[in-house]
Amino acid sequence: MIKVQNLYKKFGTNEVLSDISTAVTKGEVVSIIGPSGSGKSTFLRCLNLLEIPTSGTIEINGKNLTASKNNIHKIRQQIGMVFQHFHLFPHLTVLENLTYAPMKAKGVKKAEAEMKARLLLERVGLSEKEKAYPNSLSGGQKQRVAIARALAMEPELMLFDEPTSALDPEMVKEVLDVMKDLAKSGMTMVVVTHEMGFAREVADRVLFLDHGVLVEEGQPIEFFSNPKTERAKDFLDKVL
Amino acid sequence: MNLDFSQIVPYIPFMLEGIWATLKFVFFAIILGSILGTLLALFKIGSIKPLRWFADAYTSIFRGTPLILQLMIIYYSTPQLTGYDISAFLSAILAFGLNSSAYISEIIRAGIQAVDKGQTEAAQALGVPYRSMMKDIILPQALKNILPALMNEFITLTKESAIVSTIGYLDLMRRAQVVGSDLFRNFEPLLFVGLIYWCMVMGLTMIGRVFERRLKQSD
Repeated sequence: MIKVQNLYKKFGTNEVLSDISTAVTKGEVVSIIGPSGSGKSTFLRCLNLLEIPTSGTIEINGKNLTASKNNIHKIRQQIGMVFQHFHLFPHLTVLENLTYAPMKAKGVKKAEAEMKARLLLERVGLSEKEKAYPNSLSGGQKQRVAIARALAMEPELMLFDEPTSALDPEMVKEVLDVMKDLAKSGMTMVVVTHEMGFAREVADRVLFLDHGVLVEEGQPIEFFSNPKTERAKDFLDKVL
Repeated sequence: MNLDFSQIVPYIPFMLEGIWATLKFVFFAIILGSILGTLLALFKIGSIKPLRWFADAYTSIFRGTPLILQLMIIYYSTPQLTGYDISAFLSAILAFGLNSSAYISEIIRAGIQAVDKGQTEAAQALGVPYRSMMKDIILPQALKNILPALMNEFITLTKESAIVSTIGYLDLMRRAQVVGSDLFRNFEPLLFVGLIYWCMVMGLTMIGRVFERRLKQSD
């Protein structure tokens, strides 16, 4: 579903991503871990062109992302993204946050968009909040709304950029539960995370990035119990 | 003290008509300034270089020269250059609208840039086209931040509108002068229209507060 080949990203002379090649198949849940500054988020943001790669190719469903800048809106509509800091639209109600993009970008009728939005709110357990404004929600609730907002576009792929890093500890679980649910339903997911528990339990595969290099990848059980590289060992010693 | 307000009583209807004359062109100037200012602001933050240069040059010229000079150039040189006999009313709208758009564009540009970058990214990630994103997501949030500055600009424009008296447009200010020279008494009519200007600005301030309260709804 996603095929990344020889991806490089430079900010000025600073090389943030260096020769990354990997692939994600449909229905797979991939966790990207690594120390801060390792380029995890940049890599994720390249996948929907929020960052433009310096060189290399990214294919999504056989379509070359880097070459088709004209279709960028269409391609992004198939890729949901959840941010560390939620980025809900503060001047719209929860329900409007969910219906806005389907109506504006895909031309879905209001009644239909609202019906789907209500189903999604039910799924993330926030039905009673549809008329509330984002500022009146807790962090965990905001992130659940943000996940529902991304799902409202019916994407084929979901990207999560440290979705629990800005949350108070007691709210992490409610968000992870929603994500686990989503993984179970067969959604293809790429998750940048510091939640090693989530990576171990839910991910099908773990990518370990350090200094912009894809150092190691493998199944979580193997990676966590028996990392092959020194750098991965070092990192895991620090966080586990 | 030589003060006699009873003398201006017969002239009050004449002066009150000035309210309408002033409001009429101020209203159109604000509309023109806002539309043009928004466009210029979008040029300034956009990625098309020639448009950015144009907007910067425009702002530099209209902020860098006196408003009264711009007004006179429009009113006196349009007939000379084009043969079109431009009215004082139209000149006033153009001069104030064009001038104020330079200031408004700066206010809006700052407002847009103050909106969290994550809002743009969230809209982009959802595949929302640029136009809709600006119109529905970014500008409404920018508007909330800039409303006080924008009201300030409108208030300044309303007061500075008195400058049109110099091209003979019969606004409030001009009417006070006409009455003054008719009566050989200036203080009373000037004080009278001063009061009217103050009331108009108070009205604007109140309208601004209502808007601000309404935009605060989501907090």
